Amino acid sequence: MLDNFNRLVLANLHTLGAGLSVTAYVCFFSFLLAVVLGAMACLVRLYVPFIRIVAIGYIEFCRATPIFVQLLWVNYVWPELFGFPKSVVGAGIIALALQSSGYLAETFRSGIEGLPKGQREAALAVGMTHFQIMRRIVMPQVLLVMAPSLVNQMTVVIKSSTLVSVIAIPDLMYEALKIVNAWFEPIEVLTSTALIYVVAIFLISMLAKRVSDRFRNKYGLAAQA
Amino acid sequence: MWDSLRQSLDLTLFWEYRTILLRGLLQNIYIFFGGALLATALAFAIGAARLSKRGTVRVLSTGYAELFRNTPEYVFLIWVYYVLPIIFSRLLATKFNFSPYAAAVLALGVSYSGFLSETVRAGILAIPRTHIDAAMALGMSRWMIMRRIIAPQAIRRMLPEALNQYVSLFKATSLVSLIAVEDLMYQVSMITVHEMRPLPLYTGAALLYCGIIIAAAQCIQHLSDRWRQRGWA
Amino acid sequence: MTTPEAIIRVVNLRKSFGPLDVLCGITFDVREGSVFTIIGASGSGKSTLLRCLNYLEQPTSGEIYLDGKPIGFRIEADGRRVPDTAANINRMRAELGMVFQQFNLWPHLTAIENIIEAPLRVKRLARKEALDIGRHFLGKVNLFDKENEYPARLSGGQQQRVAIARAMAMQPKVMLFDEATSALDPELTGEVLEVMRALAKEGTTMLVVTHEMGFAREVSDRVMFLHNGQIEEDGSPESVFNAPRSERCRQFLSKVLH
Repeated sequence: MLDNFNRLVLANLHTLGAGLSVTAYVCFFSFLLAVVLGAMACLVRLYVPFIRIVAIGYIEFCRATPIFVQLLWVNYVWPELFGFPKSVVGAGIIALALQSSGYLAETFRSGIEGLPKGQREAALAVGMTHFQIMRRIVMPQVLLVMAPSLVNQMTVVIKSSTLVSVIAIPDLMYEALKIVNAWFEPIEVLTSTALIYVVAIFLISMLAKRVSDRFRNKYGLAAQA
Repeated sequence: MWDSLRQSLDLTLFWEYRTILLRGLLQNIYIFFGGALLATALAFAIGAARLSKRGTVRVLSTGYAELFRNTPEYVFLIWVYYVLPIIFSRLLATKFNFSPYAAAVLALGVSYSGFLSETVRAGILAIPRTHIDAAMALGMSRWMIMRRIIAPQAIRRMLPEALNQYVSLFKATSLVSLIAVEDLMYQVSMITVHEMRPLPLYTGAALLYCGIIIAAAQCIQHLSDRWRQRGWA
Repeated sequence: MTTPEAIIRVVNLRKSFGPLDVLCGITFDVREGSVFTIIGASGSGKSTLLRCLNYLEQPTSGEIYLDGKPIGFRIEADGRRVPDTAANINRMRAELGMVFQQFNLWPHLTAIENIIEAPLRVKRLARKEALDIGRHFLGKVNLFDKENEYPARLSGGQQQRVAIARAMAMQPKVMLFDEATSALDPELTGEVLEVMRALAKEGTTMLVVTHEMGFAREVSDRVMFLHNGQIEEDGSPESVFNAPRSERCRQFLSKVLH
């Protein structure tokens, strides 16, 4: 089995590496977009009375639809419906972003609503405007509270990104499956691929937790579970 | 664009094929129940093991949970379907094959047992030590304590979060079309190839899942609120 | 009912939360430089009254004037009363300093950053100027060395003193204290009361809602007893504490003073 490993995995390391970098690219931009969309949806839901129902509908849809279904829908239906996305990579990024934006919007909301009323009142009492309060008092604290959920969504994005191979985005999973289909020997390649994902996700969670704990330590707060 | 919008919302095509599509959905439901059962059984075992007094048991079970929480479901599904049979064949020295259904149930069940074991563990830990102390002071045996004091409370506390996990599991069953299970999405792609009209079908599938999940989530929310009112969870 | 030095004038203030009437027509003046203490049982409306003054609660009816200017509404040229803009309300709030029962320090900012945040953002002072002012008031509350500590590392008494410095740093016309010591452990109330005493001695105009009867008796210029949203007793500390005219006030004092 070892020379199988050499033949299939080590020899193809550069292809798998290329796949991994595509995965990283897709995950990075999806997560970024998800944060932006999620924040917007949350703020609209909380503070803009007229289109509040649209925001709620958006959030519910993003959370209730499986990522695979969203992926196919964005990839096959949107180009005809909206004219974009023009590439599969765009479709992958948008679909992944949609999925996470729903959860992030809800997390933002519970963070904002969970902030003690007194924090805002102290800011109002010294005469700060609504925007100043949001920017300087509410958002920094909300981000700190939300950190574990943000990290969790990062891992969800990475795990869901494995599906973009289905619409022919050349990510790690795609390259791995290509090798398997070429050689009909799935054990080494698939196991290695699985382990790469597991290790990558584990490392990112550890790193993020370390950073978050460092911040909490700075402010004198206890470390989170 | 409006033409396409009308077309994509023209769900009559969806309606036309409703029998086949619903039969596909049924596959999702079967796999969901199978997976949920397996995940729950494993979760209780692993969850309890994580609280064991024996260090090795604790480490192994925590490792199990961490492993499956960090593994992408799709990758694991493919692995179970393609790699596991080969490993079993070599170990048992016979030809071994998984049906796609079995692979799906196994993969999803094991995958989500990781998350559920964390829920189980949290539910058990949430029971105040004092309750157990009181039971021990009254002379109850460990088994009796588990059965009459811990389990009822733990299960009630776990239920809301566990139900959320089950909803995620149901969403994950949409993946099984990728190992050739004839579920809803499988039928949708088949019909698309046949009819060449992806818009209403994919939109319809999305709305169908959306509807089911939102309805389920509302029920869960309603039940959770009622339980919380009664002081259960 | 106005005297020339009335820095706060409250006229027939009413506040209801739905069917519940919390304030039922309050009228009083506060002279500049005086310490005005409000006492009463829980639920008598004391906190609500204070929170109406800086418009954290919107009065149902009645008027509040700070230094002659109305809070929360404007008088138009033709004499009509219209709700005031948010910007104006913020401007008025900057003239009123408030110290809360729960301190409400912002946990992600250090002590000094908490104090200079408003001078920087609301008054738009230069950073150096704000820091000078901030350090000055931090020194006045005897916490000069805790400048760069985060609130989580400070004791309750220290946090409340930082909160007082934060309110003072805006150099408001009036300081409002909403049960400033009620959330503190008994051994920590002393340090906060000492700061409040020092402020009073300097001639700061203070409105204090408190359960600390010793403080009320020794430091106030005027004491008001509130019951069910109405003023039951109002006068100098001697007259209220030693010879209350209202029966309810007598009962309250006997319970609280033993």
